[in-house]
Amino acid sequence: MKTESEIRQTLREWIVRTSGKIRAEELDDDTPIIERRIISSLQLTDLILMLERLSDSPIDIEMLKPGVFRDINTIYRNFFEPARA
Amino acid sequence: MSKSAPESTSEAIFDPRVLPDYGWYESGQSALSGSLLELYRRIDNMFLKWASECQAAEFFFPTFISARELAKLDYFRSFPHLVTFPASLDAADDNLKRFTEGTPLDQEGCVHLTALDPVRNVLTPAACYHFYILFQGQALAEPRYVTTRATCFRRETHYLPLQRQWNFSMREIVCIGNSDEVKAFLGRYTEKVQAFFERIHLPVNWVNATDPFFNPSKNPKFLAQRLDPVKTEMVFRTGLAIGSVNFHRNYFGEAFQIQRQEQEAFSGCVAFGIERWIFAFLNEFGPDQKQWPDLNTF
Repeated sequence: MKTESEIRQTLREWIVRTSGKIRAEELDDDTPIIERRIISSLQLTDLILMLERLSDSPIDIEMLKPGVFRDINTIYRNFFEPARA
Repeated sequence: MSKSAPESTSEAIFDPRVLPDYGWYESGQSALSGSLLELYRRIDNMFLKWASECQAAEFFFPTFISARELAKLDYFRSFPHLVTFPASLDAADDNLKRFTEGTPLDQEGCVHLTALDPVRNVLTPAACYHFYILFQGQALAEPRYVTTRATCFRRETHYLPLQRQWNFSMREIVCIGNSDEVKAFLGRYTEKVQAFFERIHLPVNWVNATDPFFNPSKNPKFLAQRLDPVKTEMVFRTGLAIGSVNFHRNYFGEAFQIQRQEQEAFSGCVAFGIERWIFAFLNEFGPDQKQWPDLNTF
């Protein structure tokens, strides 16, 4: 079971590696990754697959609400916070 | 840019075909004269006045857009069901002869084409596309505010007078700049348009929407728009979207290499479907022009 900081670090590394548009030191946990198109619409599908692996639980795309992928904080809150389980 | 809101049939809808100043073509087109043409002009003049408040420069564009340019937006994969192409016959003598000696037009009104020239253009599907092509490759020293009105073409499965047309008039006010400049522009115009609706008592709700993608469940762009809404429609009480406010992020800046402050430019637009505004006026205020709001005061 990963800790919160490990999960956040994994998310950060994945975003930097996948995007190619931003350096790790420029990416904060509240950097808007969709609005700034750091993650493109094509990469969004990969992000969902990665989150399913990382959280070890399936994501129902139909149930996703606007804003759930806004930034690392929002992603952590929506997919990893203990309250979700 | 959107025409995606469904029309409601639950309320009585005013049918403009009863008006002498209105003509409807089953091909999804309208003809206006008299008071309706005057209303069309007054509505558009009001939009132009709104555009002048940000010193937007007005442009007039041709009807065709280069298919090569449109392809940079992945338009043909995203919206193949909407696109309309200008087609012309291959000018070779034997081809033209085959056409004239065949049955150019059958009893159903269908043209029987022979070989066509290569299609390299598209009839304008959205007014603001012209601007991103125009500013392609430029580095903007300051935000650009621009406006145009275009006849836009979108093939649909069915058409309704003034509500859903194959071609219609779209006025857009556009900002290309950095993220903050574009957001401020969109915020300012959202407030302005909302204040206008309130003053004339036109019942309009703001509703998040997505562009009408082909096969949306398979299109990641649709998913992205759903999860991070960038389009807000002005939805008249019948369910008809009469305009929209759109935040494109840096999508067009990236596709057309437009730079602002050494980064891909952001853009946003406020779009108005003029025939749909006429529809809303007729439904809300009736066909008597004396009952219409005086748009000169806005």
